[in-house]
Amino acid sequence: MHKAVPIRAASIVLGLLGCWGLDLLCRAFLRDSEQRLVVLAGLYVTLAVSLNLINGIAGQFSIGHAAFYQIGAYTAGYLAFFFYLQSPLQGVGWLLAMLALGMATAALAGLVVGLPSLRLRGDYLAIVTLGFGEIIRIVVQAIDLTTPAGEQVGGALGMSVEPRIRIVGLVWLFALAAIAVSRNLCKSSHGLALLSIREDEIASAAMGVQVAKMKVAAFMIGSAFAGGAGVLLAHSESFISPSMFPMDLSFIVLTMVVLRGSGAITGSVVAALTLFYVPEYLRGLKAADGTALTVTGATLVGWILAVIAAVVAVRWIAYQYRGPRKTRLAGYAATFFGALLVGRALGWAFSFFPALSGASYEVQKLRMVIFAASLIIIMLLRPEGVLGRHEFSWDWLARALRIRRPREAVG
Amino acid sequence: MSLLRLEKATIRFGGLVAVNEVSFDIRKGELFGLIGPNGAGKTTCFNLVTGMYKPTSGRILFEDRDIAGLPVARIVRLGIARTFQNIRLFGSLSALDNVVVAAHLHRRANLIDALLGDPRSMADTERLREEAMGYLRALDLGDVAHAQSRDLPYGKQRRLEIARALATQPKLLLLDEPAAGMNPAEKEDLADTVRRLRDEFGKTLLLIEHDMRFVMGLCERIVVLDHGEKISEGPPEHVRNDPKVIEAYLGEAV
Amino acid sequence: MAHAAGLSLLASLDFGTLPSQVVNGVLNGAIYALIALGYTMVYGVLRLINFAHGEVYMLGAYTALFVSWAYGFRPDVPPDQLPESTLLTLLVMMLASMAVCAGVGVVIERFAYRPMRNQARISSLITAIGVSLLLQYGGGLFLPQNPPPTMNERVNPYRQTLELTLVRAPQELTTAVENARQLAQRSEAAFQERLKLEKDRFNLSPEGERLRDAKFEAERQLREAESRRNTAQVTVRVGAGRLAILVASLALMFLLRQLVLFTPTGRAMRAVSQDFDSAALMGVNVDRIVTITFVIGSALAGAGAMMTATFLGTSISPYYGVLPGVKAFVAAVLGGIGNIPGAVLGGILMGVAETLVIWAGYSQFADAVAFVVLIVVLLFRPGGLLGSSAVEKV
Repeated sequence: MHKAVPIRAASIVLGLLGCWGLDLLCRAFLRDSEQRLVVLAGLYVTLAVSLNLINGIAGQFSIGHAAFYQIGAYTAGYLAFFFYLQSPLQGVGWLLAMLALGMATAALAGLVVGLPSLRLRGDYLAIVTLGFGEIIRIVVQAIDLTTPAGEQVGGALGMSVEPRIRIVGLVWLFALAAIAVSRNLCKSSHGLALLSIREDEIASAAMGVQVAKMKVAAFMIGSAFAGGAGVLLAHSESFISPSMFPMDLSFIVLTMVVLRGSGAITGSVVAALTLFYVPEYLRGLKAADGTALTVTGATLVGWILAVIAAVVAVRWIAYQYRGPRKTRLAGYAATFFGALLVGRALGWAFSFFPALSGASYEVQKLRMVIFAASLIIIMLLRPEGVLGRHEFSWDWLARALRIRRPREAVG
Repeated sequence: MSLLRLEKATIRFGGLVAVNEVSFDIRKGELFGLIGPNGAGKTTCFNLVTGMYKPTSGRILFEDRDIAGLPVARIVRLGIARTFQNIRLFGSLSALDNVVVAAHLHRRANLIDALLGDPRSMADTERLREEAMGYLRALDLGDVAHAQSRDLPYGKQRRLEIARALATQPKLLLLDEPAAGMNPAEKEDLADTVRRLRDEFGKTLLLIEHDMRFVMGLCERIVVLDHGEKISEGPPEHVRNDPKVIEAYLGEAV
Repeated sequence: MAHAAGLSLLASLDFGTLPSQVVNGVLNGAIYALIALGYTMVYGVLRLINFAHGEVYMLGAYTALFVSWAYGFRPDVPPDQLPESTLLTLLVMMLASMAVCAGVGVVIERFAYRPMRNQARISSLITAIGVSLLLQYGGGLFLPQNPPPTMNERVNPYRQTLELTLVRAPQELTTAVENARQLAQRSEAAFQERLKLEKDRFNLSPEGERLRDAKFEAERQLREAESRRNTAQVTVRVGAGRLAILVASLALMFLLRQLVLFTPTGRAMRAVSQDFDSAALMGVNVDRIVTITFVIGSALAGAGAMMTATFLGTSISPYYGVLPGVKAFVAAVLGGIGNIPGAVLGGILMGVAETLVIWAGYSQFADAVAFVVLIVVLLFRPGGLLGSSAVEKV
């Protein structure tokens, strides 16, 4: 028996138990709307990890990932509408069957999109994937069937998906499956072959890698997981519409992949969770009396100026300053607290201008602005990705917990 | 027995005839040189043999099978591997992983096994890793196996390219200017390595070189190209004294 | 079956309006071309997809709107108190839009793209997406949008429709129309005469009914004669404002061409787009060239935005630039990104294709056409129509 088999078995059992536990916890302690967030977070993780496979590992520049998500969701939606009542499968069985079908449909779409990747490189491929995403959205929007009974299905207003099946554990199990598949791939020589395509396609072919096959395979696997996520979304929300899959969604998922750093998979997960929860947190912010939280123009302008100053300072320390590491870290800390102080002070100073102190903005509406601004700031400060090279593994965990001695330096 | 035979191989790019009716024959176990001034069509010849270009006319026979126009990866599988003049390593991969990619050709587990993390696939990858380590050691690169390949010094990068090509287990190994940019000591090392590839590993080698002294001291037979045409062929002494070659290299010491 | 379906599809098309549609498609395409030029120039110089370009376009539309308000075309002014618009008004609006857009473009380049220049290209792409989202959502916070404002139509002094008959109908059809019209007028007159004698308008006498039926019959014949004549003749109908768009776009493109081909700056620009690093080594001030590229590209988008907002009367919102931006980018890729004539060609093709799809009755798919055309073209010419798809040298 291979020495990794016990570890593998343990990981699987742990994953299953973890998801089951999560499910129990969610049911016990979370309200329905909060469970929904946990589900969505799991779906985002799946999307980010699956796009990472296409974009990060195979190096195929795809910016239309929402299309596959949508294909999965609509496969589930239409099938449920037409066949659920006659189906022998009910409930979770139906959901699992849909999961398989949605993945297959999306994989087929991935095949269709993957084929141009054989002829197109870089930005040209990117725009084709973007175009494919838009075509799918527009076509889905244009099709509205009317059943003999006079019911409207699909179209711009969307459709409801019955039954509503929201299982937090299953969603996260699916996300874990996507992670496991990516990880297995990365650990195998097939994964290295994919990486070599990203590095240099010509040299890769010259080493006998079947470039075309591998690229298309990456597209198909990545889109299959996105499609599965779509199925789960459709049944969890019990409603789908084309506006749930805008271009921005593709961009946000792409951002999660780019922010991941070179510790590809762990990074994707962390970035997905952060980018998902920060806007949700801002959405939920309320003032003490329960009304929507607002800020005045003065506070807003003060903070904007403070953040810009902080960015300039951090960039200066990171790229120009040549002093010792300790001073540098101290500089970062000083910038952070300085920015807090300056932001407060400027906000106070500006409040003497009636034009600024009079205007007020809801934080809820600000959240996407904050999101976009943080995107730019992160890119300006840490273009190589937030997490750097750290990839999660049991070895790493063990080292971090000092259970085992650090592995000897190789060579 | 001839391993590789070019029969009137020709390729045109628009009006330019880059390689014109070039024929030659490489026997099994030979150290064969392909030389000529800049722009003579040497690398284009390599690209024809390895399938990067499809010849306009003529045949390219490998073990008596016409391989002209087959896909690149297919030709590698038949047993022809190459290195690149402008080093094309997989920069962000480690030296070891570079070689594993090439050895990947001989894996047993398929993609589905790999995705599911099947123990067979894991064992397979480990086997390839050990195999790759063997090639690295053979080329004296064992100590840098885990360094990122783009960080290696130039001479080691060149050798890593050879190790990588070797890992595809070719019958014929094509080296494109392996000595370019090396100092005399490094060149001497390289010449030894090339001889070892033939003697220990039993490979047939075809190499393009610019440095005449290097080629003359190493190769058993040489073809000289100029302006896409073969102007001379034979053992080093013969080529060295061929008036056509001297004319083509006029001004360069032959 | 398929044959019959095809026939019925053909029959449902109105070929009489086809030429007008093609002309209007070209005019719409001119706008796409103006925006596409910005994408293509920036891509040529920096190899960066400037996702924020569509938002620059949006800001141009708002600028034009604000200038028109400053001129007195505010939404709360009653129609009879609106000032007269002149060519000068339009020029001021256009220059203001161009200036604001150029400024925004330069700021974006300086503070978001320049720091990223030595980073992986995908990082600059994400930055571009970030800037695009920031401008969209920031615009949603600060710009008027509820209800979505529209440029007052009186700002456009050229509101008449121009008609140009390309192919005249044969003489006998025209005479037939003339005869039918006279007959219709006579029977109408006769019917009206009779109506005065009728006691009850809603309960006509037999004579009255005869005259009424004769009148209806004459009118039906007139319509038929007219429709026969209309299918036989080809007329192009274009709003004068749209023609103004075309003229202005052509003028701007011509200026751009002269600049790129015949000035030292243009030469430096071409050098930078050939090889950024070599151009820098040869003493070209690349930062200056990049700035100029952003100025020109953004200004063109500003001009385009001002013209669509003024002449096409679309309502303006912070998301005004998203779709035109994406489509113009597609147009740039279609023509071969980095290639200036390619952007113009791609833009015009896109405009025509879209208009034709709407003409054929599939308006719900109009936004998808751009991408279908793109994918088909790229499959056959991976570098775009005029772009070169150089094979990588081994």
